[in-house]
Amino acid sequence: MTKTNQLTDINNSGRPYIIYRSKKGFDLYTDFSKKVILNYKNINNFLSRKYKRKSINTDLFIGFFGYELLNNLIEVKIPKQKNISFPKGIFYKPEKKISLSNNLKYKTSHRSLNPKFKLNINRNTYTKIFNKFKKKIKSGETYQIKICTKYKTKSKIDPLDFFVRLSKTNLAPEAFMIRDNNYSIISCSPENLITRKGSFISTKPIAGTVKKTKILNRNDALKYFKKNIKETKEHNMIVDMERNDLSRICKIGSVKLYKQKIVEEYKDLFHYVSLITGKLKRNIKNIDIIKAMMPGGSVIGCPKISTLNLLNNQEKENRNIYTGSFGFIKFNGDMRFNIIIRSILNFKNTSEISVASGVVVDSNANHEFNENYIKAKALIDLFK
Amino acid sequence: MIYVIDHNDSFTHNVIHQFSCFDKVVCDNYDQININKIKKASVLVFSPGPGNPSDYPETSKIYNKFKGKKKMIGICLGFQQILFCEGAKIIEQKKIYHGFQSNIRVVNNKSLFKRGKTFKVGRYHSLKLKEPFKNNNFEITMRCLESKVAMAFENNIDKIYGFQFHPESFLTINGNLLIKKILSA
Repeated sequence: MTKTNQLTDINNSGRPYIIYRSKKGFDLYTDFSKKVILNYKNINNFLSRKYKRKSINTDLFIGFFGYELLNNLIEVKIPKQKNISFPKGIFYKPEKKISLSNNLKYKTSHRSLNPKFKLNINRNTYTKIFNKFKKKIKSGETYQIKICTKYKTKSKIDPLDFFVRLSKTNLAPEAFMIRDNNYSIISCSPENLITRKGSFISTKPIAGTVKKTKILNRNDALKYFKKNIKETKEHNMIVDMERNDLSRICKIGSVKLYKQKIVEEYKDLFHYVSLITGKLKRNIKNIDIIKAMMPGGSVIGCPKISTLNLLNNQEKENRNIYTGSFGFIKFNGDMRFNIIIRSILNFKNTSEISVASGVVVDSNANHEFNENYIKAKALIDLFK
Repeated sequence: MIYVIDHNDSFTHNVIHQFSCFDKVVCDNYDQININKIKKASVLVFSPGPGNPSDYPETSKIYNKFKGKKKMIGICLGFQQILFCEGAKIIEQKKIYHGFQSNIRVVNNKSLFKRGKTFKVGRYHSLKLKEPFKNNNFEITMRCLESKVAMAFENNIDKIYGFQFHPESFLTINGNLLIKKILSA
């Protein structure tokens, strides 16, 4: 039996499964023996519990923390919002892991037809919020803030079909998909928030993306980023903020800017990234790491607490998975988590795609509104 | 021991990390200031943070209470906080510097640093000191080369120092040396 058949077979069996990008291709996790639905009350217990080791490959929990739960954890309040009663976080214990190549193969039997998307805030409202936040920047309450807009449509989707097609155009380093009985998530997240191996920890913020073209090579991309003052300032801010978050949990003097503002090349994009590393203090637990690092700064703004408060008081709708984190925690304590962006959440036959772009003082409402659409478009196009 | 008062900022732990190279550092947020810890400290540091000095009356109280008794250092908001307590006005500036690297210069003979020396520093501020500002013992010692905005003050009599820029930022070259000199003053 070939592996491509295996993928189709698992999908067609109806069992829940998760696919996560690996170094060489993808890992598929399935045969879940446990499913933990997280809330504010049980998360501490979930993260501090010790589990018996059985098999290196599957001694782990894999799943996600939603945005709201991450706010709860650091005691940032969210006022009453419109919500769809989607769980705040879910983790699974797999009993089976299968390695897949980059070249995923799957043919769907049903593809949905061009549904219409509704946007939760229009250009006018966006501009109003934008200008309000710009004033907050001038008065120093925030240095940078990301306004989230949400595209929604009613539709039944075949998540594997979406994920496979997405992986053909955008082989993102933190891509993942979850298919469970009552929901699915498809994501081409590019950003790693936490890699923990023993006492080593790193984070790899991205600020700055440019589309690859025939005439734009890596050097041109670097020049483009260096010239672009807005991207440079945003990037600088994120680097200092991530250094800060690591400094909370790392040994004095161990936090290093390992790679500073380099260009990484992907299939269709160039990203402007930095890599920050550190050595964990002795008594640090995974819950401390999660509280220090999440929600990831690059998708929120800076400083984190006052900016989260500004955002939460403005946003009328729950972010659900958007700007939360997906990844795994191994029984030996090692972790890998991304930032959930560029994702589709399908729940109760409604799909939602959230996007955000940054307000800094010299950005422009119209431009950022359009930018949001461009970010959403790659995902919206999957519905065609 | 160095006691840092945090203002809910996302750069304070960089400050702590930097000061920890020189001494033991203890930090509390401004709404949980611990007087007993302050009494044991030899240096008080006021962190950067969002908003403006009038948002933090608790920090102002501590400044007024311990002025002259402890060495004090303000960074960004902390710089403004100290000047605000000394009667200065803190105002919005036209050009906003968030995530900016600038060249600054030592402009005063009374500085611990050599007059004319330049530094490359990281900046995160939308507000600035309104000038002219006159106060006995407080000297503006560094300015932005381009905009001339006040970037540092020193009061070498009461041992009070402030930086409008961020010595702890990766954008500041040799930030550790700046802090070392102030701490040993």
